[in-house]
Amino acid sequence: MPPQDSPENIRYIVGTERRLEDVLRAEDVAPLLREALRTGVHRVIVGDDAGKTLWTSGDGVPATMGEATENCPLRLEGEPVGTVKVFGNSEKRDLLKAVASLLSGTLNILAATNLKRMLTTELHTTVVSQSYEDLLIAHRELKASETRYRELAETLEKKVDERTAELKRAYNRLLQSEKMAAVGQLAAGVAHEINNPVGFVTSNLQTLRKYVSRFTEMLAVSREILNGQPPASETFNRKWRELKLDFVTGDVEELLRQSLEGTERVKRIVADLKGFSHIDESELSPLNINRELERTLKIMARAFPGESEIIKDFHPLPNLIGNGSLLCQAFMNIILNAVQAQPQTLQLTIETRYQDGQVRITFSDNGPGIPTEIRNRIFEPFFTTRDVGQGTGMGLAVTYDIVTSMGGTIDVTCPEAGGAVFSIALPLQEH
Amino acid sequence: MIEYDEQNSRMVLKLVYYGPALSGKTTNLLCLHDRLVQDGRGELMVLDTTDDRTIFFDLLPFFLVAPSGLKIKVKVYTVPGQVKHDATRKAVLQRADGVAFIADSRLRETANNTNSFENLEKNLSYVGLDIDKIPLVIQFNKQDLKETITAQDIEQTWGPTGIPVLCASALQGWGVVETFRELVGHTYDHIDSRFSLAKKHGLAKETFVAQLTRQDLSDARTSP
Repeated sequence: MPPQDSPENIRYIVGTERRLEDVLRAEDVAPLLREALRTGVHRVIVGDDAGKTLWTSGDGVPATMGEATENCPLRLEGEPVGTVKVFGNSEKRDLLKAVASLLSGTLNILAATNLKRMLTTELHTTVVSQSYEDLLIAHRELKASETRYRELAETLEKKVDERTAELKRAYNRLLQSEKMAAVGQLAAGVAHEINNPVGFVTSNLQTLRKYVSRFTEMLAVSREILNGQPPASETFNRKWRELKLDFVTGDVEELLRQSLEGTERVKRIVADLKGFSHIDESELSPLNINRELERTLKIMARAFPGESEIIKDFHPLPNLIGNGSLLCQAFMNIILNAVQAQPQTLQLTIETRYQDGQVRITFSDNGPGIPTEIRNRIFEPFFTTRDVGQGTGMGLAVTYDIVTSMGGTIDVTCPEAGGAVFSIALPLQEH
Repeated sequence: MIEYDEQNSRMVLKLVYYGPALSGKTTNLLCLHDRLVQDGRGELMVLDTTDDRTIFFDLLPFFLVAPSGLKIKVKVYTVPGQVKHDATRKAVLQRADGVAFIADSRLRETANNTNSFENLEKNLSYVGLDIDKIPLVIQFNKQDLKETITAQDIEQTWGPTGIPVLCASALQGWGVVETFRELVGHTYDHIDSRFSLAKKHGLAKETFVAQLTRQDLSDARTSP
């Protein structure tokens, strides 16, 4: 992988210029010059192109002594860079010339060889170190990217876990709300179908009650007229006893009262169902939860048994946006649940608190608590622990729906000390 | 890119023979070494190192002195053509003053020529040189072989670029000195404006080119 293609990245140049003393070393030259003296020459001087002496031998001999040869040139890459000069006896001029030429030839070859070696080394080193640096860069990049991917993998796992949990929660919520929606639809349909017959049954029962009272009245009048006119009176009384009319006239009123009460209850259930299915149509307004709770308690005052103690631990709260009557209904259902759990000596603590952007409301009662096995079913529609006909099973389901429709949560816990604690948390929405 | 030392009155020029593997770059230098007079040039250095990676290049140095006393060294390099020696090519191409691109004329080598030329463009820009400005000549070598690219095709392809193109056979020894002459001529033109070789140093283009391309016409040529 090459580094970024820019001239700044180039740190190597091949073929830098060199001088003679860069290429030749004293250790190479000195033995040659020393040996040259053995041929009988007096002195040898190797100088650079400026005339400066680089290496010499035969220092003991005065330079003036003997005759000098002409300068024999030393070349580097074709350029004259120095000279070899040999001094000696003028009678041995041929020898001096030969030694000078031999020395310059040898030094030229030596210089060329050394230069070649240096160039090769230079290029080899630069290329290898460049490749090495490229590799280092590539290595660093790989390492960085590995770290990046590892981090990504780790956080990915965490993120997947988080998302999975979130998805699961969302799915559960969806399931719950679909169940509610289905119930709501069903309820709406059932309510519509039931309302008509219940209406005419109630009205007919009331009419029947009127008619029956007329019959009873007529029977009483007949009995009075016939009394003391035997034998008609005896026949009348015998038949009266035979038909147990004393009991019937007393019971018929009770029967009709109970029937009307029954239809009244059917009406109430239907109304509950309708309320349950029409939550989304509610009108919104700013609410103070403390005030809503006070209102609810006022309405319910008559529902509390004589020995009840209601403890209000209210703290200042910001206003929430919601439907007040629905919220009252939600609170009412929880409070009713507590009343039914402890009908004799109810002690109910209601606490409100603003915390972490949420309004928290807790209802703690002193009832028997809720068994663990049914604790997660109490918000299901039609789930009730009471006898058939006693509870609709809609109360807490309605509460659940109201709270979740406001984006809040509700859950129930049972402390070891006893009783049940319902906790509602409602978020402060932005409007 | 030129190395110019005014104080010591020295100038070093670097000319690079570029091209695909086995296109005849070294043969060009061997031929120049054979044909040109020994005086004023150094020996051809053929550098090759075999190690964990093979790197090699050739160097043929020339030396001349301008009338002003300016010493001019001209170093002619070849680069290794094999694709894998790109690092060496970059190192050699650094601070080049002129480039001769040696192409293989055989038709089957067309792709290699193209790749190598693209590599030249890339590496020139890598070392901070502009292919449109640097003196460049192209030689279609191996014209002695069969199935080579025709002169018309060469003209058609390269004519519009304005780059001088020459045909040669380095093996037979023709076209090589001409390529070199073209290259040093262009290089002179390129640097004259900046360094006033003619005005300041009294070195005319003709003299410069002639000095570098003096041919040894005697039979007793020194062998490489």
